[in-house]
Amino acid sequence: MNSIEIKNVSYQYQPNKPVLQEINLTIKKGEWVTILGHNGSGKSTLSKLIIGLLKPKTGEINVNGIPLTQETVYDIRQKVGIVFQNPDNQFVGVTVRDDIAFGLENLQIPREEMIERIETYARKVNVLEYLNKEPHALSGGQKQRVAIAGILAMHTDIIIFDEATSMLDPKGRNMVLETMKQLRHEGKTIITITHTMNEALLSDRIVVLKDGRILKEGSSQTILKDKTTLEKSNLEMLLPLKVLYDLEQENYTNKRIKDLLWELSLNV
Amino acid sequence: MKNIVIGRYIPGNSFLYKIDPRTKIIALIILMVAVFMLRSLIFMLAGLGLIMLLLAIGKISVKRVYLGLRPLMFLLIFTFSFQILFNTQGTQLIDVTLHYTVLTIPLIIALFFFWMYTKKIIRFKLLYFFFIVSLILSVLIFIDVGYTLNQGALTIYSQGLEMAFFIMLRLIIIVTLSTILTLTTKPTDLNLGLESVLKPLKIFRVNTEEIAMILAISLRYIPTLLDEANKIMLAQASRGVDFSEGKLKDKVMQIVSLLVPMFIISFKRSDELANAMEARSFVPGRNRTRLQTLHWSSLDTVALSIAFVALFTSIALRIFV
Amino acid sequence: MGIKFKRVEFKYQGFDEKGYLALSNINLTIKPQGEFITLIGETGSGKTTLVQHMNALLTPTSGEMDILGAIINQETIRKKSVKLNPIRQKVGLVFQFPEYQLFEETVEKDIIFGPKNYGVSETEAIQRAKELIKVVGLNESYLSRSPFNLSGGEKKRVSIAGILAMNPDILILDEPTSGLDPMGRDELLKVFFDIHQRLGKTVIIITHDMNTVFHYAKRVLVMRDSYLVYDGDPMNLFTKKNIEHWNLDIPDILKLTYQIEERLDVTFPTRPRNKEALLEMLKELEA
Repeated sequence: MNSIEIKNVSYQYQPNKPVLQEINLTIKKGEWVTILGHNGSGKSTLSKLIIGLLKPKTGEINVNGIPLTQETVYDIRQKVGIVFQNPDNQFVGVTVRDDIAFGLENLQIPREEMIERIETYARKVNVLEYLNKEPHALSGGQKQRVAIAGILAMHTDIIIFDEATSMLDPKGRNMVLETMKQLRHEGKTIITITHTMNEALLSDRIVVLKDGRILKEGSSQTILKDKTTLEKSNLEMLLPLKVLYDLEQENYTNKRIKDLLWELSLNV
Repeated sequence: MKNIVIGRYIPGNSFLYKIDPRTKIIALIILMVAVFMLRSLIFMLAGLGLIMLLLAIGKISVKRVYLGLRPLMFLLIFTFSFQILFNTQGTQLIDVTLHYTVLTIPLIIALFFFWMYTKKIIRFKLLYFFFIVSLILSVLIFIDVGYTLNQGALTIYSQGLEMAFFIMLRLIIIVTLSTILTLTTKPTDLNLGLESVLKPLKIFRVNTEEIAMILAISLRYIPTLLDEANKIMLAQASRGVDFSEGKLKDKVMQIVSLLVPMFIISFKRSDELANAMEARSFVPGRNRTRLQTLHWSSLDTVALSIAFVALFTSIALRIFV
Repeated sequence: MGIKFKRVEFKYQGFDEKGYLALSNINLTIKPQGEFITLIGETGSGKTTLVQHMNALLTPTSGEMDILGAIINQETIRKKSVKLNPIRQKVGLVFQFPEYQLFEETVEKDIIFGPKNYGVSETEAIQRAKELIKVVGLNESYLSRSPFNLSGGEKKRVSIAGILAMNPDILILDEPTSGLDPMGRDELLKVFFDIHQRLGKTVIIITHDMNTVFHYAKRVLVMRDSYLVYDGDPMNLFTKKNIEHWNLDIPDILKLTYQIEERLDVTFPTRPRNKEALLEMLKELEA
């Protein structure tokens, strides 16, 4: 079954300045896909289209088999959650508890069930002890995990991470990455939008965007070593692969080291 | 900016914290009406006594309330002086001549500058201010030495004095009552209470849920915006903007250099926040269930009854006394 | 001369009387020219508070600072015997988000705002803007554009030019590369290194990217819970110190070296500083 089907989608904010052109992309249920691209490649616009915050100029989007339209958008938003870049600009509640409750209140979930869900998902992302805390008492990583709990509590099955780790310090980033791995384990469909290779590596498939078009698409392993594609889209190869590439340029022969570098690049 | 006490919640556990926010809001309105019903200084003093009693049994420190009053000090002093100087009803209490002579005028100017420079290092600024004011008055009244330039009169009437105290007390009581509400009520509860109290306005097609949501979001983001304003100030100070100095022309530029980034950041923030809210299935005007609920207890019935008793008493006083 | 911290402490005054210590017993000397320093540490460890002391936006609540000859302590602040505004011209501080400072209609006006505040004539300031827009990797056509219609990376460059235009001796940048893609980040880092090398200025960068620290810095400062816990060579920090509990990452190049050593059961004689050094070591291993 497909979680998301994007068919021939284009979008522009201003006339004659297309941000996305002829995007075709299918994401299966339980798959983890990375959308990789430089600043301004249109990757954040794509996430806003999927969740219906923007309406495609042409083409269509299906979520869980339902076409995204004016009528279905509210149902679809129950199925798709999104974690944005800036932790401060998506924290709606005055406390962690209120913030996780926000989406549930919108879905008109009865109070008793809300209390139950808040506890379940706060525990899941490890913020249970902060339920009564205000946002300014939390670190960036903690705020992002509260956002994840808020989405999970709505029983969404597709989660988009729109550069959700880019404003965090290494510790906060690792916290969020751990939570992502856990979500994959539970069979959620995950879309990460990033320009960091270490993050892309965790996913099953990578879609490289450049200037609003899909430049290349393939399994993480093939894209990671595709030097030309990465260079074309202002991205950086992982270090072990860079070293491997340089060694191959110089006709380096030690197969053991070459195999090792390849292996290491897959578990950075 | 860091000393704003009005509207701040300070955690505590007296009975005032246990009263339902709806009760507190309604009681506040009732008591304000009651205070405006009072017509004489004696009753107002009695009212102040009752408020002090409320503070004492509610375990709220008078210092906190005083901090809440401090920003209004100028207004208090102004209304007080205005009544004293310009209300000419009742009997004449004091009538003294003020001597503006070649000696007293320089003396007053000297005192003024002395106050300007010393007030920064004195701890009790308000007390010190009154001390200097009385010093200046005594100079004008008692020193009649040197060539007299002009003479003035200071006349105080009984009604003026009474009204001055009356109005000042009324202002103090009202601000104290509001401060008690905000000191003892969590912002979320206050918001919930307001929403609930405003509900009857629905028959006039006022969208009370939206008003409540706007209030909630404001409460959530006021600290963030203050923090942001501070950062912008520091960033512009790093480019040589000296906020403590500058001519009028520079001042305008300084304010523009703060306001423009403030607006741009706030717009961007509200745009992102709106996206985040919509993405989490928020639809303006649509029904929502609520996590936080309010509970009416017998304490609320008692508190509200007392407020009504106060109101009826003041109405009775107005009619019969 | 330079910047000197002597037992500096800074306490944020909160609503409650306790307050919050952001800097504890900081002792530090920074030379006025020729240094390239990175400042690292967790969020909330006091990095930003530390750099805001360097240009006297904040002043110590205890201890003393000497910023290019200006003595700053509780006493000089109270007596107002030290002028803080001129210090901010000599020590330029670029904030993390360019949105905090950009406000003029055009990029040019925004760049000349700082120097004009310090009495530089408009013609001279415009001359500087024309040079500096190139130093930060943009061209003169940007000068007439509105700063609000630029991309994130471009805004950042304009905000840096705005500080450089005041011609500071020391340039401090608070997380200048966060949120940029790898290409944007590398270009900007080259700009900073160029400012350091060609103009001889001391440059201080706050960052979370350990690869930047390892590749560029001659000196690294580590903040941890309001204390300055390390001041020295990055190589020494990452190879000899036990930095696990400081929540710092290890630079990729070292991580890879350690992994190769472990898997091949060998020990390299030295630690590589960059990719080229590692390549040499691997080639030697083959031979």
